Amino acid sequence: MNRILSALALLFFATAVSAQEDLFDLLEEEQPQTQIVYATFKGTQLINAQTNETPGKGVLQYVIAHRFGSFTDDYLYNFLGLDNAQIRMQLDYGVNDRFNIGVGRSSVLKVADGFMKYKALQQRTGSNAFPFSLTWHSSINYRGARYTDGIDHVLLDRFSYQHSAIFARKWNANLSTMIAPGIVHWNIVPSKQDPNTSLHTTFGGRYKLNKRLALTGEFSLMSNSTLSDGSTFTVPGGVGIDIETGGHVFQIHLSNTRAMSNPYWLSRNTFSALDGSLFLGFNISRVFTVR
Amino acid sequence: MYLLLMKQLLLSIAFLFAAQLSAQQYLTRQGNITFDAGSPIEDIFAKSESASAVYDAASGKLGVQVLMTSFVFKRALMQEHFNENYVESEAYPKAAFRGTYTKGRAVGELTIHGVTKEIDVPATLAIDGDLVKLQTEFPVTIADFGIDIPKTVADKIEKDAKTTVDCTMKLRK
Repeated sequence: MNRILSALALLFFATAVSAQEDLFDLLEEEQPQTQIVYATFKGTQLINAQTNETPGKGVLQYVIAHRFGSFTDDYLYNFLGLDNAQIRMQLDYGVNDRFNIGVGRSSVLKVADGFMKYKALQQRTGSNAFPFSLTWHSSINYRGARYTDGIDHVLLDRFSYQHSAIFARKWNANLSTMIAPGIVHWNIVPSKQDPNTSLHTTFGGRYKLNKRLALTGEFSLMSNSTLSDGSTFTVPGGVGIDIETGGHVFQIHLSNTRAMSNPYWLSRNTFSALDGSLFLGFNISRVFTVR
Repeated sequence: MYLLLMKQLLLSIAFLFAAQLSAQQYLTRQGNITFDAGSPIEDIFAKSESASAVYDAASGKLGVQVLMTSFVFKRALMQEHFNENYVESEAYPKAAFRGTYTKGRAVGELTIHGVTKEIDVPATLAIDGDLVKLQTEFPVTIADFGIDIPKTVADKIEKDAKTTVDCTMKLRK
C-alpha cells in the first residue's frame, strides 16, 4: 500500500514537472490560422498577360511599357530597335484589396482601353485552405487609328473586348504558374464567315532566382488563327525577367509581340520568332499609396 | 501502520496541490506587438494583434510568439516586401521570445528570422486577479538578425526597430 501511494505521489510530482517544461509548447498549440497566399507574381502583369495580382487598397499604379523594333529590322541602325519603340501607358487604382480598375493607351493602332480586375478567389493555407487563386479580368478597347480600307466605319466597329479567368497557384516560395482561359470579341471582322469571338488560353509562370529577381514566361493558344482575308496569326509568347526594387517592378523581356492592348496581342499577332521577329521590351510599374 | 498510511496519503495530496499551484499559467492568443522602423523619409510601422504569450507565475517563465504574416502595415506593398524580401516569412514564419521575467526585466532568447540572440530588457508584468498584463518596449537591431537591407533603401529604414509588446494573459483553468 505504501508503495502504491508513493508511486502515486511521484506521478503527481512528475506531472507537475512536465507541466513546467511544456509551458512554451502552449505557444505552439495555436489554432492554425487561415492565411492568404501573397505575392504569387511580382507584378499585376506577367509580360503581356495579366496575372492574378491587383494593387492593394488605395494604391495608384502607373505602368509604362515599351516594345522595341525587331532584331531583323536594321537593328544597329535603329539603335537596337529603340528608334521604333511602341509604347503603352497605364494608370490603375486598387478600389479595395480585390477590385482594380484602370485605363491605358497604346501607340499600336492608337488603342485606348479601360479594364477591371477582380480577385474572386484567393489561394489560402491553414485551417481554411484553398488551392488556387481566381481573378477575373475584362477590358474594353477602342481603336483610335484611322481605317485605310476606304470603308466608312461606324463608331462601334472600333471596339473590341476581352475577358479572361486567371487561375493561378503559388506552388512554393519560388514557383508560381497560371492558366488563363478567356475570349476576345471583335465588333468587326473581314467577312461573315469569320467568327467575331475567339477562345484563348494563356499559360504563364515565374521562377524566383533570388529575393529580387525572377524568370518569367508566357504563351497563348487561340481557337482560330486564320481569317478569310488570308491573314494568319501566330502564337504570342515571350520570356523575361522581373527585377524588383522597392516600389518599382522592372520587367524586361523578349517576345514576338508588339501590340500591348489585350485583344491585339492575343488574337491579332502576326509576328513569328521563327523568322526573327523578336522584340525587346519592358514594363515598369510604380505604385503610390494615395489613401 | 494506519498512521503511516494516513501520513503518506496526506503527503500525496500535498504534492497534488503543489502540482496545481505550480501550474498557475497565464495565456493569451490576442497579444499586441508593434514595431516602428520608420525614418524621417518613410513611415514603416506595423502591428500584430494575434501574438501569443504565456507566463508561469511560479517559475517566472515567460514566452511570447508571433506569426510574421500577422503584421499589418499601412501600405500593402510594404507588407508584401516585409514578408517576402526582409523577414522571409515563408522560411521563418515566427518570431519568439523564450525566457523569464524577474524584477522588472525580461531575460531570455529572442529569435527572429531564424537567428537567436540573448536579450535582457526592461518589462512590466502586473498580476491583477486572473489577468497578467505584460508591457515592454525595446529596440531590435535589424542587422543582428541577419535581415538584409539593400543599400538603396538603407537610409529609409531605421537601424533599430522600436518594438512594443502589450499582452494581457488570462489564467488557464
